[in-house]
Amino acid sequence: MHPHRRKRLFNIILVLLFSTSGIGLILYSLNTNLDYFFTPTELTNINIPEDKRIKIGGMVLENSVVREQSKVIFTVTDYKNYIEVVYEGIVPDLFKEGSGVVALGFMQNETFYAQEVLAKHDENYMPPNLSINNDN
Amino acid sequence: MKFLFKSTVLLLPLAFIAMFYILLTEEDAYPGTDYKTFDIPKFQLENLENTKLIDNDEIKGNFILNVWASWCITCRVEHPFLMNLKNQGIKIIGLNYKDERFDAIQWLDKYGNPYEIIFHDLKGSLALDLGVTGAPETFLVSNGKVVAHYQGEVNDAVWSNVFLPIIKEEGMF
Amino acid sequence: MIIEISHYLSILATGLFLLIGLISFITTDTKYTAKLISKTFSHGFLLLLVSFIIYIWLAITDNFSVQYIANHSNTELPVFYKISSIWSAHEGSMFLWIIFIALWGFIFNINIKNDEVLKPKSIGVISLILVGFLLFLLLTSNPFETILPIAPLNGADINPVLQDPALAIHPPTLYLGYVGFVIPFACAISFLINGNPDVRWEKLVQKWSVLAWVFLTIGITLGSWWAYYELGWGGYWFWDPVENVALMPWLAATAFLHSLSVSIKSSHLRVWTILLSISVFSLSLFGAFIVRSGIIDSVHSFANDPDRGLYLLMFIGIILIISLSLFILRFSIIRPIGNIKSFSKESFISINNIFFGSLIFCVMLGVTYPLVYEYLFDQKISVGAPFYNAIFIPIVLIASLFLFFSVDSKWSRNLNFNFFRSPIIVSIILSIASIILLIYFFQTNNFTFLISVYVGLLIIFRYCIEIFNSFYFKKFINPFSAIAHLALGLLLLSISFNSLLSTERALSIRLDSTEEYKDLKIYLKDIKVVKNSNHDSIKALFFIENSRGDIVELSPEKRRYRTRGQITTETAIHISPLRDIYITIGDQLDNGNWVVNVQLNYFIRWIWFSGCLMAIAGIVLIFSKRKV
Repeated sequence: MHPHRRKRLFNIILVLLFSTSGIGLILYSLNTNLDYFFTPTELTNINIPEDKRIKIGGMVLENSVVREQSKVIFTVTDYKNYIEVVYEGIVPDLFKEGSGVVALGFMQNETFYAQEVLAKHDENYMPPNLSINNDN
Repeated sequence: MKFLFKSTVLLLPLAFIAMFYILLTEEDAYPGTDYKTFDIPKFQLENLENTKLIDNDEIKGNFILNVWASWCITCRVEHPFLMNLKNQGIKIIGLNYKDERFDAIQWLDKYGNPYEIIFHDLKGSLALDLGVTGAPETFLVSNGKVVAHYQGEVNDAVWSNVFLPIIKEEGMF
Repeated sequence: MIIEISHYLSILATGLFLLIGLISFITTDTKYTAKLISKTFSHGFLLLLVSFIIYIWLAITDNFSVQYIANHSNTELPVFYKISSIWSAHEGSMFLWIIFIALWGFIFNINIKNDEVLKPKSIGVISLILVGFLLFLLLTSNPFETILPIAPLNGADINPVLQDPALAIHPPTLYLGYVGFVIPFACAISFLINGNPDVRWEKLVQKWSVLAWVFLTIGITLGSWWAYYELGWGGYWFWDPVENVALMPWLAATAFLHSLSVSIKSSHLRVWTILLSISVFSLSLFGAFIVRSGIIDSVHSFANDPDRGLYLLMFIGIILIISLSLFILRFSIIRPIGNIKSFSKESFISINNIFFGSLIFCVMLGVTYPLVYEYLFDQKISVGAPFYNAIFIPIVLIASLFLFFSVDSKWSRNLNFNFFRSPIIVSIILSIASIILLIYFFQTNNFTFLISVYVGLLIIFRYCIEIFNSFYFKKFINPFSAIAHLALGLLLLSISFNSLLSTERALSIRLDSTEEYKDLKIYLKDIKVVKNSNHDSIKALFFIENSRGDIVELSPEKRRYRTRGQITTETAIHISPLRDIYITIGDQLDNGNWVVNVQLNYFIRWIWFSGCLMAIAGIVLIFSKRKV
């Protein structure tokens, strides 16, 4: 092969090698850092490892919210199945019984330990950009 | 090499646009729609106009249940369309949501009343059981069963794309 | 009706801009057409401006026959918020967006002389983009629609979360940044059409691009600050899709400015510069698409119309097809002559472009992957902070290390790279010494923290030496680069310290009693219900004493707005240079205790200060006489 061509081939291989390994690394870290979203019904059908961070979503069951010291314990439901959630901290402004909620955390022995609780809907319609901020 | 570079530069963004096109058109065109069917929950509420108590027995047959309030501007926008439906002979029942009686009646006097009966749900208790999250929202009820639920303003496009197909299917009106 | 005047003026402006677009592309450039295009554009802008001023006036005078104003304003609002209510939702903010494109075009138009070869076609491109957006406004999201025949007496109450000065000025700043990149984009297109490689479009657009970048930087910083004190979570960045679509144009713009500085001096990196100018602008448009199509968050978007998303997507598609085809057509003329010398400034900047490209790719992946995944597998997922941290931390650190070594490199010259030059050695030694002190002081072995601080310190020391040299030995220094990179070092330091030291805890506290948290004694002095004109609030009063015995008073609130029943949290923050004490109150427990969330956020002010410093660097460049 002509030395000039060989050099060019070498460059192409180098670029391809770097870009594929880079994209591979990115996709790998994406897959290991995903938060899957489940409803209470979906949760009854599958087993989630205790160290896997997941999101659950549903409605806060009426009359289920109990406060113990700085902990809040409540039940999330899709009106078919139920799941108990424990959260330490202050629940967001839009958190209400009978209203939508999304929680991020870990499953341990049928109980969900939330790191973050996000309330979903609002009393009224509001501009889309704001509802995104609140859902955050 | 040069050709490869040129075609990637052009095709990659276009593939991206195409992907978003698929995602956008695939998505439910009317995100406020819910087609779950369920029975109207048991309730007892005051009639907005004469404060008599109404319960499930007084609402029979096929009708549209519209959630509204005098504080809701979108309801004001939706209002002419409801008047239109009423003139076509479609039965509309109103659910006055978290509103003051006086304000609501004044509102109807001013703009016109498209509703056959109006429940005064000051605390939003029936609304909660129905899964109402705000106003306006509209339910399609066929013989005591909710067959469609739409969140947001009902207009011509929503009516013909969301409600009419179900109305045909259920053989209502 | 006055609103109709405003409406017709916008339609007239659309026609005028279409005309300018046609003239500039059909006719050959002569002195006469250049003058005609320039004059007509100014007139089009004036029509649009008058239309917008009428609209503002209608908002101030509570003209609720306009549907949009009725929906988003209220007689009880102060005038300031009546004006800002215009951009509190989709239609009005789109109107503002268009006004800003026209404003940039207008200022560009009156500042650049008519004999500049690229000017007529650039104005033509800007006009056609304006036509695209005006049609979008008028056809799919008309803010001029009226409620007939009777106007409501009062408008809907504006959402209380929106009644905030930072939120009122944050969107306009961000928009000014986004759409400012229409100038480099238009000039790049004009350059590609012109096809003469000797025309230096890069020089023409530098200051404009830096100005747009300054607005974008300030806009993002303001948004971060607003979310911190208003939403009550105490964080400064949430990797929320809406934040991410603002970050992507910023990353692309930063890469663009770097690349531009090379292309101004030589023919190198011109391919990069043009591609980046196209991507900054299309990423800005992509952000508008994501936010306005409702594709990410479709629940409860007010009047969500799928046509809007489709229109914007097609608009971006057309812009990309035209600009990229032009790029491919002219590829041969913008190719560099000769190779980049190794270890020259150019080589470092081209590596930097690759780093920024990877970051943009990752953010894009994080935004779109959940959508694609849900489409394919019908399973909802979300991409959170762990992914972005896993990508951003290593790439930013490696890029910063390259930056550290690039300070010694020279333009278009092979550097006999000597790792033992004194500034490098001095900064490395100083940084290692500081790290040892830190380990001793904080007793930490958190590797990410130490390495980030180390890299941050390297940059800061290196640039400090550079600044010292420029003062005492009159060595040349690029003040823009020095300040902006110092800000980067500072940002690395403050983010590292913030994530290492910041803590939070929910306490349950009784009235008239004291709880201890870290070095603080928190005493709940009083809690009472306060009635205000449009809301009731529970207002607490805390006395907080630190280990030195200084006492501060903080009174967080929980408000309930009467018209909507909406509850908002008003945080109370005690600001000091090193840390914020950030308190929010929650609910009352059955035993009468109150739940109180206490956060100690270290160095958080420095994060925003770094953002401001970057913006200041940009301003320095704009006002510097010297060519950089």
